[in-house]
Amino acid sequence: MATRDASAPLHAVLRSAERPTWPQEERMLSFLERKYGQLVNLEWVEDPALRDGFLLRVGLDTYDWSLEGRLRQFKDAMSHLERADGQDVIPLIRETVRSWMPHVTIEETGEVRTVGDGIATVSGLSGAMYGEILLFSDGIRGMVQELRRDEVGCILFGDDSAIESGSAVRRTGRTAGVPVGEEFLGRVVNALGAPIDGRGEIRAEGYRPVEHPAPGILDRQPVNRPMETGLLAIDAMFPIGRGQRELIIGDRQTGKTAIALDTMLNQKGKDVICIYVAIGQKASSIAQLVESLRRRGAMDYTIVVSASASDPAPLQYIAPYAGCAMAEYFMEQGRDVLIVYDDLSKHAVAYRALSLLLGRSPGREAYPGDVFYLHSRLLERAAHLSAAKGGGSITALPIVETQAGDVSAYIPTNIISITDGQIFLESELFFAGQRPAVNVGLSVSRVGGAAQTRAMKSASGAIRLELAQYREMEVFTQFSSDLDEATKRQLLYGQGLMQLLRQPQYHPMAQHEQVITLLCAMAHLLHVQPSEVPACNRAILDYVQAHAADLCQDIDRNGRLDEAGRGRILALARECLEKRGQSGSVSEHAQQ
Amino acid sequence: MNIGTIAQISGPVIDVDFPDGTLPRIREALSVEVDGARRVMEVAQHTGGQTVRCVMLSASEGLCRGLPVVATGKTIEVPVGKATLGRMFNVLGDPIDGEAPVPAGEPHWSIHRAPPSFEELSPVVEILETGIKVIDLLEPYPKGGKIGLFGGAGVGKTVLIQELIHNVAMEHGGYSIFTGVGERSREGNDLWTEMRESGVSANTALVFGQMNESPGVRMRVALSGLTMAEYFRDEEHRNVLLFIDNIFRFVQAGSEVSTLLGRMPSAVGYQPTLATEMGELQERITSTRNGSVTSVQAVYVPADDLTDPAPATTFAHLDATTVLSRKVAEQGIYPAVDPLESTSRILEPELVGEEHYRIARRVQEILQKYSELQDIIAILGMEELGEEDRLTVMRARKIQRFLSQPFHVAEKFTGTPGVYVPLSETLRGFRAIISGEMDEYPEAAFFNVGTIDDVKKKARDMEDGGAL
Repeated sequence: MATRDASAPLHAVLRSAERPTWPQEERMLSFLERKYGQLVNLEWVEDPALRDGFLLRVGLDTYDWSLEGRLRQFKDAMSHLERADGQDVIPLIRETVRSWMPHVTIEETGEVRTVGDGIATVSGLSGAMYGEILLFSDGIRGMVQELRRDEVGCILFGDDSAIESGSAVRRTGRTAGVPVGEEFLGRVVNALGAPIDGRGEIRAEGYRPVEHPAPGILDRQPVNRPMETGLLAIDAMFPIGRGQRELIIGDRQTGKTAIALDTMLNQKGKDVICIYVAIGQKASSIAQLVESLRRRGAMDYTIVVSASASDPAPLQYIAPYAGCAMAEYFMEQGRDVLIVYDDLSKHAVAYRALSLLLGRSPGREAYPGDVFYLHSRLLERAAHLSAAKGGGSITALPIVETQAGDVSAYIPTNIISITDGQIFLESELFFAGQRPAVNVGLSVSRVGGAAQTRAMKSASGAIRLELAQYREMEVFTQFSSDLDEATKRQLLYGQGLMQLLRQPQYHPMAQHEQVITLLCAMAHLLHVQPSEVPACNRAILDYVQAHAADLCQDIDRNGRLDEAGRGRILALARECLEKRGQSGSVSEHAQQ
Repeated sequence: MNIGTIAQISGPVIDVDFPDGTLPRIREALSVEVDGARRVMEVAQHTGGQTVRCVMLSASEGLCRGLPVVATGKTIEVPVGKATLGRMFNVLGDPIDGEAPVPAGEPHWSIHRAPPSFEELSPVVEILETGIKVIDLLEPYPKGGKIGLFGGAGVGKTVLIQELIHNVAMEHGGYSIFTGVGERSREGNDLWTEMRESGVSANTALVFGQMNESPGVRMRVALSGLTMAEYFRDEEHRNVLLFIDNIFRFVQAGSEVSTLLGRMPSAVGYQPTLATEMGELQERITSTRNGSVTSVQAVYVPADDLTDPAPATTFAHLDATTVLSRKVAEQGIYPAVDPLESTSRILEPELVGEEHYRIARRVQEILQKYSELQDIIAILGMEELGEEDRLTVMRARKIQRFLSQPFHVAEKFTGTPGVYVPLSETLRGFRAIISGEMDEYPEAAFFNVGTIDDVKKKARDMEDGGAL
């Protein structure tokens, strides 16, 4: 409470439509004197709007007995009910209504001092908590970011032009959070969890704080189940496991979102919930993405959280935390969630704007000192929970945009140092038609290998290292004319592999297709001109699928492939190639 | 009991008023209770009058002005000694392994201590074999020395430190302390599980303050781990291994709170006190006449910039540095050690022996020559090089590949079993390459193998297989 001069009488203002009677005034005065322990000087102000009650302000405290205030109390009482998890709420409502008694409660209100650029300072509110949500006039919300001695600094989740200096601010008593629940699936919501797709209200099953501590060391278990992306280049070389954080990084227009989107589409029927968080993007691209997901039936298991470029920076700032809170709700039920943050470089920019406006001093690239913590505490919340905690998981695919392919800039390296690996997309590869444009040398997955199915692991072998060596060899030999036979063979083989890794968007490959492709490639069966590799591979896939459907099914279902199965696939592949008349050696073709 | 109240909160920095004027001392721990849970902060400054400025060692969410704060009269203290072995702690020394708390009767030490005096120090002379070729050959680690692993994001610092734990801590048999500073919680879990399984946990204490925790925690957790190591050195006169992953996060956490503490920012936004903070910590990590601390510290290099103030300040404190480079990693060569940037103070003929010294320097010369020739090759092609230069290039490429090695800790991802290469084998291998003995073997055979015999075997297999 603000300090008061004990000797001077306290000034209180009573607003009501009619002047209080003398006994009323007497009662009020004696109550206030008892409460504050000093003399009170009561002033009456006529306010025709308060027909049914009164508002009494003493210093920074307000006693609200207006009709509006009582209704608000009632609403609050009812809304607290919603949080009774999943129980039948009707008897609860009946009970609450019956026992409801409006109180003349002391309510802290503050007054806006300054407002602008999405930031407001508020005087009063001595009990406000760090991170609490404040209610401004016009229903705009703000979040406490700083508690100074005599004022509160907060960021606004709405249009600041509606707030004026001197207007009242109310506490809500709860820290920033979002509603969560099953009904959010298939919906598009803003960073506060309110629907923006025009499909009506969403019934929430709970309310979760946006800032939540990440699972501790013992609450986790190693990543050991695969999260299949359906993209051969990724599943074979940079496999992702459930509970992993894998960064997708690259210049603009290199297919970053496409990878995330394909991964989401590939989760169909795999009992994975997808959450896509759009930060600072064009609203029209978000609409397009939602449409694309809906058309392919992926919206049924997807939530889209959108904080578009036109939303205020504070909303862009909390959007990923809000998305994560929704994901945690499912994770704690033991379910698997895939969350995409698109993209965190714009998130960092929004946070930089806020920090600078709050007067915090800038560091490298003008980002504040805690920009690492901004992302580390977000991404650490993605985890594979231990069996004791239900075994659920959040797999995070953050996206970061680089400038001119510079992965070693500040924000990219920060996030690389948080995630469990990165998939680096290169514009040169992209425009050369190598899509997904994965740079094999700079991409890595630190934990996914342990999550690969046995079939996949045995098939993919050392393909990544071989490709990295091929790329190095390619650069080294590009000016040489007389290459020995072994080197030529290695180069041709590498080119063939690169062809195999090309995959159009929206065409996820099933696991058995990937395994067969890799087996044939690693066994050096596809010794044809690089341009013919895809067609040749397609023929093999069709042939094997037709002749060994049981084997394919076994791979997809159980991720198993024994030595006999391997042999059978390779034999079938050779058979197919013979029929096509393409089993000739490389050198023949190379000479032609 | 001295009780104050919270006056101001800005992120992790809290101002507390002590109305009766008895201020807690700097570094004293204060505690505050929120929803029945105890949270701790540490006094950083007296700001004049009745106010102290503190750094929270947990999240600030839910705190409000006016909350009572208790001055404990002590600095943060952590349990030390045998009771810590086989356990896992947080920055406050509270166990986080889900088992019983450390009995109060066990010794507890303050995490803030003075470094050993000058006369207590002892110089380092002996080589510590790691079984990793590139390290043993080019930047041998000294026993009781301080070793830094520098690397940008995702070039393999943590994997290398884990391989060192695997090779050294398990061979070494003494006590080891692992301190996780601002790294991934998942890695903490992996390490904990692995140590349990391999049985080394009985001789190891783990301390974690990971990246999801508030800057105050990351700023202090290195001290908590170090204090446990110091106890074994000073009281039990042992030789201790101390692993710190990652010391950069300690600096970073300091910079996160620095401006909130009211200090002006220094170069690249770091705290003005960077060098002293680092010095105070580093000077405590040292070997004395009583016992030794061999420390391996990972140092993150932000934005791949080795001249960044944080790594640049750390360099001066180390006896051996291993620099990991993205350019090497890009070629698929792991460990991605940059053989020309990495150094060791003990790579001297008197310390490692004439033979080792000669081979190491010759290897560096060849690699240096190759890197100078690379521009010429890029412009003119290999054909334009003289016979001798061509030979150098071929040998250099073989050396580059032979410096790679499969790791034990990476086996579950790569499927290739790890190898431990004794120093004598390492020397024999490189001697063979530089003397020209191995000129006949194809380059690819040198890649990702252990000893020179493995190269020969791989070359034979390649020939037989007709494949690569």
